[in-house]
Amino acid sequence: MLKYMVRRLVMLVGIVFVISVGSFYLIHLLPGDPATVILGTGASPANRAILYKQLGLNKPIIEQYFIWIGNVLHGNLGTSFISQTSVASTIRTAFPIDLELIILSQVLAFAAAIPLAMRSARKPNGFLDRVLSAGSFTLLSIPPFIIIVLLVLFISIKLGVNNTGPSSFVPFTSDWVINLESLSLPAFTLAIASFVVYFRILRSDMIATLQEEFITMARSKGLSRRRIMWRHAFRPSSVALLGTAGVNIGGLLAGSFVVQYLLGIPGLGYTLIAGIASSDYLLVQGIVLVVSVGVVLINFFFDFIISLVDPRISRE
Amino acid sequence: MTDRLLVVENLRTTFRTVSGVIPAVGGVSFDLGANETLGIVGESGSGKTVLARTIMGLQPRTNIEVSGSVLLNGQQVVGASERVMREMWATQVAMVFQDPMTSLNPVMRIGRQIDETLRVRLGMDRRAARARAIELLNMVGIPSAEARYRAFPTELSGGMRQRVVIATALACSPKLLIADEPTTGLDVTIQSQILNLLDSLKQQLDMSVILITHDLGVVATRTSRIIVMYAGQIVEMGATRDIFHHHRMRYTRALLDSSPKVANPSHTRLAVIPGRPPNLSTLPPGCHFAPRCAFATEQCHRERPTLQAADSPGHVFACWNPLAASTNEGDSTR
Repeated sequence: MLKYMVRRLVMLVGIVFVISVGSFYLIHLLPGDPATVILGTGASPANRAILYKQLGLNKPIIEQYFIWIGNVLHGNLGTSFISQTSVASTIRTAFPIDLELIILSQVLAFAAAIPLAMRSARKPNGFLDRVLSAGSFTLLSIPPFIIIVLLVLFISIKLGVNNTGPSSFVPFTSDWVINLESLSLPAFTLAIASFVVYFRILRSDMIATLQEEFITMARSKGLSRRRIMWRHAFRPSSVALLGTAGVNIGGLLAGSFVVQYLLGIPGLGYTLIAGIASSDYLLVQGIVLVVSVGVVLINFFFDFIISLVDPRISRE
Repeated sequence: MTDRLLVVENLRTTFRTVSGVIPAVGGVSFDLGANETLGIVGESGSGKTVLARTIMGLQPRTNIEVSGSVLLNGQQVVGASERVMREMWATQVAMVFQDPMTSLNPVMRIGRQIDETLRVRLGMDRRAARARAIELLNMVGIPSAEARYRAFPTELSGGMRQRVVIATALACSPKLLIADEPTTGLDVTIQSQILNLLDSLKQQLDMSVILITHDLGVVATRTSRIIVMYAGQIVEMGATRDIFHHHRMRYTRALLDSSPKVANPSHTRLAVIPGRPPNLSTLPPGCHFAPRCAFATEQCHRERPTLQAADSPGHVFACWNPLAASTNEGDSTR
C-alpha cells in the first residue's frame, strides 16, 4: 500500500513537471515574439521592457523556465497586461466558484445515482430499471446548454423564482443564500450529466457483482438483502464509478464554462473564455496550469480512494 | 421419519430458459439422518449442484420451478420465502462452496466475513464475535489466526481460503453442512487435508454432511451412503460399501472404472465413458444412460427403468439390465 502510494506520488510529480513545461511553453508556441504575443503589436517600448524583465525574455529558454517556475511556486503567475491585475488573484476569486459548483453538482448526482442504481440492479429489466434506464438515456441525449436554458425559462422566468436567472451571481462570502440560489440551476444542470453517467456505471457493475458467487455465499449466511447490497455488493462495484467520477470531476474544472458563460457566473471556465477572447495570454497560461494540476490532483485523490476501496489494486 | 434430519421427496427443479425447459433435477427422493455423511456423485451437469442449492433453497427465484418436498429438520424448504430461509441458513444448513477463489468477498477482510454471520445471526457483540471468529480460524487449521483475521482473501492461498469458507459455514453450528465439490479447485495435496478436516469437524460438531463430488475416491472412506446421479435423477443409491463392491448399475461401474487408482501400473489408460451427458431439454424416452451404455437393450431405449431394491437394505438402482449381484467385486477404494 505504502509502496503503491509512493510510486503514484513520484508519477504525480513527474506529470506536474511535464504540465508546467507545457504551460510555460504555451506562450512560446504562439507565432512571433512572446512580448508581441502578450502585449499585442501596438505595445509601447516601455511595456515591452517591463515584460522582458518580468519574464526574463532575453535569457536562455531553460533559465526562463526556472525563473517562471520559481515565480509560480511563490504563487506569482504574473500580471495581466489586459486587466492590469495579478493573474493569481483573478484565479483565486474564480476558482472557489468552480469548486462550489463541483461540490453541489456532485453531491446531487451521487445522492440520486447511488440509491437509484442499487434499486435498479436488484431487478434488472424490472419496471423500475426500465423506467430509470430509459429516463437516464433521454437525459443523456439533451445537452447541458439546452437544459440550462429550459430551466431558466421555466424556473426563473415563468415561475419567477428570484436570484436564479442570468447575472444573479454573488460571491458566497457576501451573501451565501443568494449565492446558493444563483448556483442552484447550474449545479442541477451539471448534476444531471454526472448522474446519468454514474447511474449507468454503478447499475451495470452492481448487476455483474450480484451474479458473483460471494453474493450467493453471503445469502447463504442468512444476511438481509439490504446488508448484502450495501456491505457486500456496493464496495466491489464502486471502483469503476470512482474512476469515472475522478475523470468527470476533473473535466468539470473549467469544463462547466458553458453554463457559467450562459448565466454569467465568473468561474474559471468563464474567465478562461474571456481571457481567450481578449488575448490575455498570461491569464490563459495561469488557468491552464491551475486546471491541469487540479485535474491531476483530483485523479490522484480518486486513485487513492479506489485503492482503499479495493485492496487488490494496490497489491502489484 | 422424525429422526431424519433431511427428507427429500420427489424433488424437481426445472429451469425455464430461452432454449427450452431443463429438468435439472428430475424427481429425487432420499433422506439423511443426524450425524450421517452422504456422498452425491455424478458427472458434471448431472444435477448435483442444483440439487444441493435446491435443498438449501438457495436457487435464484426467477425462471425456475421447484416441486416436491424438502423437509429440513421438520421445516418445508420448497416454496419457503427468502425470509423463512434466512432464518434457516447458517444455523440449520450451511454450504461450503466449490471455488474458494470466488466465494469469498475480495474486498472484505476474512475476519469480518466470519464475524458478520455471528453478529447478524447470533447477535454477538463485536468483541465476542471476533474471539469466536479467531477460534473458528484456529479450528479449521489456519496458522497464526489472530494475524490472518485481518487478511484479505487475495492474501491467502486456495487451500487457506477454503478453510476460511469452511469456518464461515460452521460459524453458527449448522445441523447440516452441504459441501459442493469442496476440493475441485484445489491442489491434490490440499484436497485430502480439506476432506480430512471436514471429516473431523463433522465428528467434533455432531452435524450431518452432504459431500458432493464427481470423484468417487473422495467419498469412498468418508461417507456412510452414496447417491449416484445421472441426468438429474438418482440411478443408484446405497451404503458406501454396497456402491463400491456390489453396485448393480452399469453407470456406477463406468464411474468407478474411470477413476485413477494407485494400484494401476504406470501408463495405464483410464477408462472413459463414451459420449456425453445427455441434453436435459431433449431427454430420450428410455433409460437416460442407454445411448452411452454398451449393454443397452431394446427395452433400455424404449422404457425408463425405475429404482428397484437390490439385495442389501437401502440399496436401490435403476437398470433393466443390471450387473449380477455378486460378480462386481473388482473395484475398491484407492
